[in-house]
Amino acid sequence: MAAVQVSEAEKVYIMHGVRDDLRLDGRGCEDYRHMEIETDVVSNTDGSAKISLGHTDVLVGVKAEIGKPKPMVPDEGYLEFFVDCSANATPEFEGRGGEELGVELSNTLYKVFNNRHSVDLRSLCICPGENCWVLYVDVLLLQCDGNLFDAISIAIKAALFNTRIPKVHISEDEEGVKEMELSDDPYDCMRLNVENVPCIVTLCKIGHRHVVDATLQEKACSVASLLISVTHRGTVTCVRKMGGGSLDPESIFEMTEAGKRVGKALHAPLMELLQKEESLGKKRQKVGFLG
Amino acid sequence: MLKSKTFVKKTRSGGVLKIVREHYLRDDIWCGSEVCKECKDEAPVLQEHACIESNLCSYPHYLIPDTNVVLHQIDILEDPLIRNVIILQIVLQEVRHRSAPVYKRIKDAIHEKEKHFYTFTNEHHRETFIEREQGESANDRNDRAIRVAAKWYTDHLAKKTNGGSLKVVLLTDDRSNKEKAEQYGLIVYRCEEYIKSLIGNPELMDRLALKPDDQNEITGSKLLFPEHLPLSRIQSGIKNGMFLQGTFHANRDNYLEGKVFINREGEEINEVLLQGLQNLNRAVHQDVVAVELFPKEHWVAPSSVVLQDDSPNDEDAEEDETENKPTGRVVGIIKRNWRPFCGMLSQSMIKEATRHLFTPADRRIPRIRIETRQAANLVGQRIMVAIDGWPKNSRYPNGHFVKNLGSAGDKETETEVLLLEHDVPHQPFSQAVLSFLPKMPWSITEEDLKVRADLRHLCVCSVDPPGCTDIDDTLHCRELENGNLEVGVHIADVSHFIRPGNALDQEAASRGTTVYLCGKRIDMVPELLSSNLCSLRSNVERLAFSCIWEMNHNAEILKAHFTKSIINSKASLTYAEAQMRIDDSTMKDDITKSLRGLNRLAKILKGRRIAKGALTLSSPEVRFHIDSETHDPIDLQSKELKETNSMVEEFMLLANISVAQKIYDEFSECALLRKHPSPPPSNYDILIKAAKSRDLNIHTDSAKALADSLNNATVENFPYFNTLLRILATRCMMQAVYFCSGMDSDFHHYGLASPIYTHFTSPIRRYADIIVHRLLAVAINADSTYPDLMDKHKQSALCNNLNYRHKMAQYAQRASVAFHTQLFFKNKGIINEEGFILFVRKNAIIILIPKFGLEGAVFFDNKDKPSPHLSFDSEGPTLKVEEHTFRMFDEVKVTISLDASNIQHQRIRMALIEPLHTCSFIIYDLVRTDKGVPVGMPH
Repeated sequence: MAAVQVSEAEKVYIMHGVRDDLRLDGRGCEDYRHMEIETDVVSNTDGSAKISLGHTDVLVGVKAEIGKPKPMVPDEGYLEFFVDCSANATPEFEGRGGEELGVELSNTLYKVFNNRHSVDLRSLCICPGENCWVLYVDVLLLQCDGNLFDAISIAIKAALFNTRIPKVHISEDEEGVKEMELSDDPYDCMRLNVENVPCIVTLCKIGHRHVVDATLQEKACSVASLLISVTHRGTVTCVRKMGGGSLDPESIFEMTEAGKRVGKALHAPLMELLQKEESLGKKRQKVGFLG
Repeated sequence: MLKSKTFVKKTRSGGVLKIVREHYLRDDIWCGSEVCKECKDEAPVLQEHACIESNLCSYPHYLIPDTNVVLHQIDILEDPLIRNVIILQIVLQEVRHRSAPVYKRIKDAIHEKEKHFYTFTNEHHRETFIEREQGESANDRNDRAIRVAAKWYTDHLAKKTNGGSLKVVLLTDDRSNKEKAEQYGLIVYRCEEYIKSLIGNPELMDRLALKPDDQNEITGSKLLFPEHLPLSRIQSGIKNGMFLQGTFHANRDNYLEGKVFINREGEEINEVLLQGLQNLNRAVHQDVVAVELFPKEHWVAPSSVVLQDDSPNDEDAEEDETENKPTGRVVGIIKRNWRPFCGMLSQSMIKEATRHLFTPADRRIPRIRIETRQAANLVGQRIMVAIDGWPKNSRYPNGHFVKNLGSAGDKETETEVLLLEHDVPHQPFSQAVLSFLPKMPWSITEEDLKVRADLRHLCVCSVDPPGCTDIDDTLHCRELENGNLEVGVHIADVSHFIRPGNALDQEAASRGTTVYLCGKRIDMVPELLSSNLCSLRSNVERLAFSCIWEMNHNAEILKAHFTKSIINSKASLTYAEAQMRIDDSTMKDDITKSLRGLNRLAKILKGRRIAKGALTLSSPEVRFHIDSETHDPIDLQSKELKETNSMVEEFMLLANISVAQKIYDEFSECALLRKHPSPPPSNYDILIKAAKSRDLNIHTDSAKALADSLNNATVENFPYFNTLLRILATRCMMQAVYFCSGMDSDFHHYGLASPIYTHFTSPIRRYADIIVHRLLAVAINADSTYPDLMDKHKQSALCNNLNYRHKMAQYAQRASVAFHTQLFFKNKGIINEEGFILFVRKNAIIILIPKFGLEGAVFFDNKDKPSPHLSFDSEGPTLKVEEHTFRMFDEVKVTISLDASNIQHQRIRMALIEPLHTCSFIIYDLVRTDKGVPVGMPH
């Protein structure tokens, strides 16, 4: 990931700060940076959202397409993830530089989101065993300033909230030949229930304490971090340790607790914000990429 | 201001696509009214004093029709009385989507300056654009858009005229739309209501299309026909092979019978027979229908009975045991192919009735029920009627009156009718087309001289029928220094004037051919070209496309050469004049020498061609002497063939074959050629049977064998016999057609016994020749190519149109001759004449009268009288009526007169006087098209 040069003296300064719950930019250890979210930014997707978290910019688009359900779960649709690390985000992504990170990110996202507890996959089924909706979630990293996972997960939740899937009616004639008909009313569409969609909270171990939403400098001071996906109820659905260092069980417990607390606090304002935005309807002034 | 339009679409592979289009709104879209000073429209279309007198709207007003009004009442809108109409863009779009013909008509109306039709692009106007709301269907949204636009106009005009009198009136037949519009404060009427209110124009009422709820009262509630299946069922049925899709062709002679031609490849069955009204199930000639096949045991044979829908009896035709054909019934209509039909009104028996039956001139079209108040005025007139629908409880389709063409029997009217009925485009050329004509005065430029061979010094002359003004071929022949002969065929260079793709070219391509009627010519290209600039008249310099051969005295080609050239014809001769020059040994000028040379070579060429098996066929052609003042036919004579006819023909054939070979060599994929398939052996059955009856054998294994046996088939004391046989042989032939070489592998021209053939020599009157000219010009580097010329699919589509136009032109021509024959007999009174039996049918004999080229059927079963005892033998074929046996080619005597008692279908009535005196009559129909299609004269 994007590297910053941090000298030993700087590291000590940051670590000491964290110890006293005072971070470089003035935040406390469990504070997020300023966050901006806008949905419905890409018109030819079925749902989209753009988020900026500090200087981390992420764009997520959701495309719904008709596909075949997986044989093991014939009555469910599924999600596919693709993360594109644009060379705009950081020069390191140039060429195939971002590929490895992209694959890692998308695999993690797949684990976190593609299960029936997070998203109601049954509602994506059109005709069991034959047709289902496949949601292609495309993530584009526009700028990297640390804490990609959290930003991406929030953007995905917002984009799924924004997703409108055209209604499909299955008609069957007497020979049993099924015919799919699309509703011609653009308002006649299906929404996803995003209540249980989790958000990822990444906690970075710095010294003896941990911080959420680490900047790149802070990240450089951390040897290990824990990725926790939390639902709005505070249920942990997935935990993953990242980085080379080790974590003792006690701090894992502490970090999980902190993650639950932070995650829970993240969901409520996010949903409120999304609903408020939607209630503005057509009157909403679109900001897009100019904001 | 930018909006975006979003919609989802299903792709062919079953996917779903979301499509987003940008949509810009503007504030500079003008209202188009003369009143408005704010809109900066330079040439406003809508008049300030838009007055149509109406009891409903006494003020000046503009009309805004909604989509359905335009779709169904286009006949009304086209009336010159209806002016100052605002056609909204949304309406236009919907019309375009739903009916291409109506779209074209409304576009034409908009372009007509006199009509003051204005298109308002409401979808791009800042104040009239609306977005679809939640829970609103697409149709509701469009209706609302129409109302919003109408409201905008109302307010806009009120402001401009300071609350003055100019108003807009919305026309809609949709009840809920009307209610909503009234609530919205608009002036709105139903179309019918409005038209009825117009003062002093009651005839417009008749042109109103009937609406479904009106139709219910017309007919009883008895269901006559099975319900048509919905399109989705039909489509799935076709997919799984339960139904077959095809084009319905009604039988001209039997209204209870029809055929469906299955136009799908790989289908074993390509023709399905339909019998009985129930099974025809409201299909009208040319509709695309879905049919269901009956199980094999229910298959029947087509009846050979001639049955006309004059009588009220609806009995099914009797069934025959010979050779059953695939039979089925219509289950649904895929596409209606209704057009306005010409015909006449059969007035209802009840005097005050407003509903009448209309009998189309084309017998394949069923009678149509129309509503009119002016029946008394329309009796005896040729009128045009459009079908609106055919409910399942009605014996006849319902329709409405479109226009009056004039009184029946009138020459102008009848010509108009036959042009309309044969789909011959005959409107004057549009301004757009004329704009591509060369500017006059035209002359040959320096540049032309540079790129063309200068052949002005050659002694070129043309030989044509008398009175010909579109001369497209000239010839020359001279001796070369080496003792060989140089023969040149010079064809008018029409492709120099008609450039690919422009309006002139498109119009010519659509017309396909010039149509020659008796006393009238419908040009394919404007007269300036056809009779002046392209016509190779004498003593003027003209551009030509020359085909020049070097031949030895045995007419063997040593060298062939094609070039664009400039010629100066020395003489325009008629066939007779040319013949005279050749025969008059005292004449020794260059022209005559050239003609003699040509004539000598032509004889050798012809001999060689006949030796190869080319057929000489015959069809009874007559020519009228037309009175120069009244344009009535005063006499008629059979076309007479002189040696010079055959001379010109021979060289045209030679040029066509040479060019065909050349363009095929250059462009094996996209050469436009003409083929004449050999007929299936069964076609000859009747010919062989007929010859057998006179103890003669006709061999039909090859064209050569046929030609030889026809030459030997003579009967003593019966000189006309051979001609009769040849007429019959002509009827056995297939139609010659244009095709694209890349789409076919069989190039053979059966009639000419040539392996390859095309049309090159008449570009003024045939579009195919223009294409061939272009191909040849590219082949010799004289012109550049263009994509469509090299596209075999496009060319194939063009060929289809040309074949269709040629066929229709031929039919129109024959119909015109038939009509003039009637006029002729009208003046002549009753005549006794000799004729021959051409065919023998189950209940009739077909008789040909050589003197007039007349042909008609004598029916022996008469519905009014007890029919005589008939016994038909299909082997002979012979028909025994009481005591007398009729055989093919028997000589009979008839008396001919014009039966004008039934003005509906004027007929030539002929009664048999020898050998059997009967009261049954021969009918020669005004429109007779299906039987016996003679081979197109090759040249």
